[in-house]
Amino acid sequence: MAEAAANSRPQHRRAPLPASLIWGGVLLTVILALAIAGPSLSPYDLDALQLDMRLMPPSAVHWLGTDEFGRDVLSRVLNGAQSSLLMGFGATAVSLLFGVPLGLVAGYYRGWADEAIMRAVDVMISLPPIILGLLILSVTSPSLWKTVLAVGFVYIPIITRLTRGITLEVASEEYIQAARARVEGGWYILFHEILPNAWPPIIVESALRVTFAMLLAAALSFLGLGVQPPASDWGLMIAEARPFINSAPWIACSAGAALCVTVIAINLVGDGLREALDPRLARRR
Amino acid sequence: MAGYVLKRLLSIALTMAVMSVLIFWITQVMPGNVAYMILGDFASPQDVATLEAKLGLNDPAYVQYLRWATGLLQGDLGRSLVMDRPIAPVLWDAVGKSAILAGISIGLVALLGISLGVYAGVRHGRISDHIVSVATYINIAIPEFLWAIVIVMLFAGYLNWFPATGYSDLSSGFASWARHLILPVFTLVTGLIAHISRLTRSSMIDTMQTQYVRAARARGLPEKLVIRRHALPNALLPTITILAIDVGIMMGGIVVVETIFSYPGLGRLLMFAIQNMDVPLLQACMMVITFVYAAANLIADLLYAFLNPKVRYGRSSSE
Amino acid sequence: MTDHVLKVEDLSVSFPQSGGRARILHNVDFALERGTVLGIVGESGSGKSTAALAVLGLLDNGGSIDSGRVVIDGEDLYAKSAEERRQLRGGKISIVFQDPFTTLNPAIRVGRQIAEPLVMHRGMTEAEARAETLRLLKEVGIPDPERMAASYPHQLSGGMKQRALIASALACDPDVLILDEPTTALDVTIEAQILDLLDSLRITRSLSMLFISHNLGVVSRICDEICVLYAGRVVEYGKSASILTEPRHPYTKGLLASLPKMSRERHRLQPIPGRLPDVRKPLSGCVFAPRCHFAEPRCQTTPPAITPIGEDVAAACWRASELARTPWRIESSETIPRRVDAGDGKPIVVARDVERTFEAGGAMDGISFSLDGWVPRVSFGRKVVRAVDKVSLTIHEGEIVGLVGESGSGKTTLGRCLIDLISPTSGEVAIDGAQLLNASRSEKRDLLKRAQIIFQNPDSSLNPRKSIGETLERPLELVGLGREERQRRVAELLDLVRLDASYAERYPHQMSGGEKQRVGIARALSTNPRFIVCDEAVSALDVSVQASILNLLLDLREQFKLAYLFITHDLSVVSYIADRICVMRNGTIVEVGSTEAIIDRPQHPYTKALLAAVPKVPELRANLDR
Repeated sequence: MAEAAANSRPQHRRAPLPASLIWGGVLLTVILALAIAGPSLSPYDLDALQLDMRLMPPSAVHWLGTDEFGRDVLSRVLNGAQSSLLMGFGATAVSLLFGVPLGLVAGYYRGWADEAIMRAVDVMISLPPIILGLLILSVTSPSLWKTVLAVGFVYIPIITRLTRGITLEVASEEYIQAARARVEGGWYILFHEILPNAWPPIIVESALRVTFAMLLAAALSFLGLGVQPPASDWGLMIAEARPFINSAPWIACSAGAALCVTVIAINLVGDGLREALDPRLARRR
Repeated sequence: MAGYVLKRLLSIALTMAVMSVLIFWITQVMPGNVAYMILGDFASPQDVATLEAKLGLNDPAYVQYLRWATGLLQGDLGRSLVMDRPIAPVLWDAVGKSAILAGISIGLVALLGISLGVYAGVRHGRISDHIVSVATYINIAIPEFLWAIVIVMLFAGYLNWFPATGYSDLSSGFASWARHLILPVFTLVTGLIAHISRLTRSSMIDTMQTQYVRAARARGLPEKLVIRRHALPNALLPTITILAIDVGIMMGGIVVVETIFSYPGLGRLLMFAIQNMDVPLLQACMMVITFVYAAANLIADLLYAFLNPKVRYGRSSSE
Repeated sequence: MTDHVLKVEDLSVSFPQSGGRARILHNVDFALERGTVLGIVGESGSGKSTAALAVLGLLDNGGSIDSGRVVIDGEDLYAKSAEERRQLRGGKISIVFQDPFTTLNPAIRVGRQIAEPLVMHRGMTEAEARAETLRLLKEVGIPDPERMAASYPHQLSGGMKQRALIASALACDPDVLILDEPTTALDVTIEAQILDLLDSLRITRSLSMLFISHNLGVVSRICDEICVLYAGRVVEYGKSASILTEPRHPYTKGLLASLPKMSRERHRLQPIPGRLPDVRKPLSGCVFAPRCHFAEPRCQTTPPAITPIGEDVAAACWRASELARTPWRIESSETIPRRVDAGDGKPIVVARDVERTFEAGGAMDGISFSLDGWVPRVSFGRKVVRAVDKVSLTIHEGEIVGLVGESGSGKTTLGRCLIDLISPTSGEVAIDGAQLLNASRSEKRDLLKRAQIIFQNPDSSLNPRKSIGETLERPLELVGLGREERQRRVAELLDLVRLDASYAERYPHQMSGGEKQRVGIARALSTNPRFIVCDEAVSALDVSVQASILNLLLDLREQFKLAYLFITHDLSVVSYIADRICVMRNGTIVEVGSTEAIIDRPQHPYTKALLAAVPKVPELRANLDR
């Protein structure tokens, strides 16, 4: 049992990579490649209006059909990858940039710093994410980078809380006491002793956060507060295709499928990372 | 316990106060010139002056805030700019309609989600377990707005079983009322059921592995009793908190769902306020949402405390 | 014909593990005679808890019985259906687990949990069960059964909870009562009370008990027979008195030689080298051979069967008979004199009136509300706990001061105050004559070069993301040593703690608990300190490993004239290692004296109670001792 396992000679060989990590990784690599190569791959000019070719169903000429302005859906879906991925990863980067240091400070120093940070977090989560996003974006003219910032901001409290929780756990370990016993500075303890041990769960959470951010950004674009026409963005495309959902379902379905596949790919990577980096958490799922 | 209740009330009041400052600051102070923002960049100076007078925009920001906040405390939500009438009746009507949608949904989520989670947790590692996992993946991957559109396309478009949009009052017949609610409710609950059942499942699995469950088995209790008496009460305690989180997620979902189904509730009113730059209406909607979410969290906290002997009875002196 | 209430025959159990199954129990045989106590003894990894669960028919996590029988009162447990097995549990056979804090369901009143078997197996009504519960609680020595029954677990202390669990296990008058380390989670005085209770119960109820423990003192106190498990195999089995005074199997010999005893004279401990074999690897020959210094060629090839040696003992060793009178010895066992010259040594650490208070909870907890009728009352100010209450203490060069106390006595807080890991609320601490507490950061770093700490938990005291080399180099880097010098010094340090230089490349997860603890010691030594706080430094280790660490600490003291503050809850260990002992309780030191004086002539009633509570192992037969 556990006690026997703990005492047996340690194994040096590494466990094989989880299948979900491999599949997710391959899928995500393909998507990233398409996103980067998208503009040169797309068969048609993005904004080329062909008013005589409106709402054409998929055919040999337009593999995924055309939209209400006669624009090629495949080209727009390919190009939409960039904005979706940018929003997902960009927003997550923003929330990590602020959330991780805040969580480290709150969890390690405790006291008034902890109190102040956590009360601020309480206020920020007193509005549900989408609503907070709407509030932030409601009064400014919409743009892609503002959406990235707003979505990133919305998820700061979640990263802060997570980091704080892990920090509390790690800070109670005796090697942190040992570092303090040799009078290490706060910076060294936070970033050289605690952070390396806090990374695995944070990375796993960030992978899932990317998908949430991507979906939140898409929803905001869908509601008209994110990316603006005529940009090609999956959320926006679905919004624009909504009136034609029964006559031309291919537009919304293509963009929707692209979004779903991307989200699933990132989720697989996240789950795989969880399994590989943090077996304790993986078991709990 | 009484002390705990008072403390939670105070902390919620504090959060609401800070949030009201934040909402006011973001919507009215931060944009710089609100009048131009509302009227557009090419508004005539007279129009701007009229609006500034109407909203009291020439006063210092804190005076504007205090005027607004006192109004709120007295139940005065202000006047809508676009509709040019008091906000309160419009808002309460919308809140009522959203409450129907949300109430039915959260009830279904609690009932179906928790039972599914418990079931999957007890039969850990079997087929039901995999169903929950797959459902979770689908839930994570398909955003609400896409799900709603697909549902409209299938059930309203092709099958034509239910109306795609609108709301029908209960006074015009139960059947019609229900038919208008089915698709929005269905859209809202699918994701949340997956969410809560996954968390209930893992909570149940954790509880089934505790030492006190093992001890109950060692006393010779039949497995059903072990689950019902020893595992369930402890496993379900955390789901109270999760339900409160789900209320929050649902409020976000309501904005999307009401927009798509043209359901005349709070979410649609909020989008109306944003699209038309109706700042007083936007502020009022935001405050109501903050309040409802805070209330949901408060109820969850109190219920949790009431059901958890550690909070309810505290520590006795026999230590 | 003896009347065996429980018989375990040829029992093998395995658990799933990455890449196959790991066998945890190998053909285990033992039998419990009615009305007696059989002790199952072993260190961690011996499989003793698995044996208990197998006897209950409660193996979980995929564990399965590969062979053998468990016979309770003539009935084969595993020949029965799962339903019949369930009905035996809590009725004919019941168990008390190790940790009373997690064994009671936090959401159910204690009385109701105790009553469960009564309703289940004896068919009582709720009211009858309630009355019987109160009677049981009284029987296990609970002064106020009514209040106890109405309490939730979190409202009770550990000792009270364990009494309640014993009451529950006794509820249906079981044929066999299994006790799985029932006192390990408790303080020594509470442990003594529980053992007293079990002692009296076995007489009043003529109980048959299976007592599982790693603690030889506890076992010798309560058991009639002993079954020694090593790596899932029975290595020695027989009468308790005989095994403990005249062990036949080398492992048992080693175990007893590793044990620090409370005595005036101090002999060097004789640890068992090496570690447990990997359960995943197939083994030919005797399982103990790799660690046994009596091993012969045949021990490596053919496993010995357990065979009777003399009347009341059987052992699984080829050489058991010829070695019967040979003691376990791998190092010289000269006596190590204690320092009694503490007075003329130079003081290294001087603490004066050190006080440390803690405020309970976060900032918001400082405000408390109450309802007076319907009028809310607000009060400010947090509950203050005084962990260390005006303690003064001087430690001299080369002196080992033991600090003993039970949980909550403030011993750990005091130890950390001395090196400013926890800042005292008031008082003074001087190291080598210089004030520590108000020193600037650079001065503090300078002072703390001379005062270091060794921690309790080898799994937690090393950063898992750093190699041993990195861990040991960092303090040297802070002192300003160059790269080459650091590496040379790391090799030196590893050598000091008897580890191979190649360990610098390893990571903590690639090492055993004892090895990690050695690295912890090396880290503490890296800056050439004069004084080291050993905070429960050997408490998490198995006896055989503990002995080698204690030896190492004593050697290092000799070599470097180090002073230790040795904090522990274990009186045997402290009386072995310390020159002087401080007894701590409720934040104050209640008695200080030379080890000899404390052991032989304790003054304070609390010290007397502590000493009386320690379960002792009988002395080995004279001819074995030297």
